Amino acid sequence: MLIQSTKFGEIYVEEERIVFFPWGIPGFRNEHQFAIVPMTDDSPFSYLQSVENADLSFLLIEPFTVFKDYQFELDDEIAGEVGLSGENPPCIYNIVTVADKLENMTANLLAPLIINWASKEGFQLVLENVKYTTKHRVFPNDSGCEELGQSADESTTLTEGGR
Amino acid sequence: MLALTRRQGERIVINNNIVLTVVEIRGDHVRLGIEAPREISIYRGELYDSIEAENRKAAVTIPKEDMEERLKQWKK
Repeated sequence: MLIQSTKFGEIYVEEERIVFFPWGIPGFRNEHQFAIVPMTDDSPFSYLQSVENADLSFLLIEPFTVFKDYQFELDDEIAGEVGLSGENPPCIYNIVTVADKLENMTANLLAPLIINWASKEGFQLVLENVKYTTKHRVFPNDSGCEELGQSADESTTLTEGGR
Repeated sequence: MLALTRRQGERIVINNNIVLTVVEIRGDHVRLGIEAPREISIYRGELYDSIEAENRKAAVTIPKEDMEERLKQWKK
């Protein structure tokens, strides 16, 4: 499917990468179709691009590579609504917010995206009575960018350029 | 907005399958009981607002190209 995207231009996305969100997501209730496009083949990051709205895209992270003890309960009945079960577990993504600079980017662990890749359906779950918030640092501190495999010098230069 | 006056113990029925009950009124606190089908999501307003606000913010803060190049170097 060809998708118009302000960020990427006109892109071709395989049908199997397009997920239906029956309830939209909070703040974007009328957006029902999104493409989930990995940044690279082995990256924990993906983009969530609206199929209908070229201007609407999000950065996603697969949480468990960074937040190793992240866990929550998914109610059986809610899971069943989108066809999930023990045999067909969901894929979990969290929306990332990049505030001023990359090192300060945060992931919304309070409201994970629950994706059923078998039925291509998804929704954003809002967790209640949990310790998680909408802003968890992806890098624990300012020097965390070393995890990206770059020297501190290069990082500093890029950060300044990105402001 | 429809505004209805209810006393403690009284109910409001919505769409034949959602029942709100005023369980308790104490000072400026009202305790509501909600019976609804599981697929109806129910959130405290301020919690929902915070998710909405974070989503709106995330939508306009996707990384610029130089940031993206650095993120691409990170493998699972």
